[in-house]
Amino acid sequence: METGKILHIATYAGQIILENGGETYRVEETISRICKSFGIEVAEGFVTPTGIMASASKTPADVRSVIKRVKHRTVNLEKIALVNELSRQNVLNPLPLDVFYSNLVEIDGKKSREPKVVIGTAAIAAAAFTIMFGGNLADALSAFLVGLVAKLITTSVSGLGVNDFFVNLAGGAIMTFLGLLSVWLGLGEHPSLIIIGSMMLLVPGLAITNAIRDTLAGDLVAGVTRGAEAIMIAVTLAAGSGIVVGLWIQFLGGNI
Amino acid sequence: MLTNAIASYIATLCFAVIFNIRGNNKYWAAGGGMIAWVTYQLALSAGISQVYSLLPASVLFSAYSEIVARQLRTPVTTLIICALIPLVPGAGMYNTMFAVVQGSTTEAIELGLKTLGQAGTLAAGVAFVSTIANLITRVRRRLPL
Repeated sequence: METGKILHIATYAGQIILENGGETYRVEETISRICKSFGIEVAEGFVTPTGIMASASKTPADVRSVIKRVKHRTVNLEKIALVNELSRQNVLNPLPLDVFYSNLVEIDGKKSREPKVVIGTAAIAAAAFTIMFGGNLADALSAFLVGLVAKLITTSVSGLGVNDFFVNLAGGAIMTFLGLLSVWLGLGEHPSLIIIGSMMLLVPGLAITNAIRDTLAGDLVAGVTRGAEAIMIAVTLAAGSGIVVGLWIQFLGGNI
Repeated sequence: MLTNAIASYIATLCFAVIFNIRGNNKYWAAGGGMIAWVTYQLALSAGISQVYSLLPASVLFSAYSEIVARQLRTPVTTLIICALIPLVPGAGMYNTMFAVVQGSTTEAIELGLKTLGQAGTLAAGVAFVSTIANLITRVRRRLPL
């Protein structure tokens, strides 16, 4: 009874890490660590970016296993840090199981930042990237507006549960269209800098980092999966952008 | 260069906010992004190629992240994910796509390979530092220093 309960709580902690952008090897380590801190020596997890399989046994006759499918993934690095800290603390001075569980529930329930804050910061980031790539103030202002509108649309579309690849495709297309439009209207000067600056909002930085770290940790399945994810994000983003550039040249011509 | 430094600090800070890093950690994460971008620009202006300039940049920001993460007692990833963003070859990706749309296949292949090279160099730098850091931790655990 107890073994099953501990395993459930351990995989719940793993699930929080995986859903919020953590590496898969960290999830495996966390599951084993939590099980060990509650006195189960034999506990292993096999984790891929889309699911967790874990089993634990106190005696050879009593083997429990849990499979958890992870469907929604966002990025909330604070939750990863908190679960990580909680599980490490628990090795030193173990909490009662129920208290540990309610701490996890509290971490899981923490709200991410308000959408309007995220959209506003994304717009500022787009402007800053445009300046980094050599744009002037007019370009930065255009990128701010492009980033604002594009992030607003991509956030609301992904809130509707549309798959990530379509969101990236649409995001790339919208950013490119608005970037070209802002120059056409005489607001910005360098369309490519405005577009690249705002597209930095959608580049697969998280997937690249996790691909590297999972591969290094010997988690080849997860490493390859994350690498493929990074390439697919990049390709869909470029494809969305390319469709708009192609149409723009076709119908409006001119030098981009 | 000052404009570059400030802009990269702000851009990375914004990403730290978007990725929900709280408290002082986000200012440290932003510092990593600034180190990455300034090193990259310095290497470029020293005449190093666009691909190889990423190596010193990624080595430095990863080393910074490994050290700061231990001080702040936070997972290294939370810092690396933010600091890595400025170096992701978004421009290479866009230029490759542009060459494809214009039908210049040779240029597209050239740019595409360069972009892949950049991504690879970035990964190599991060991997190198992270391996060294793990090695140091392991050696320390074994020898009472």
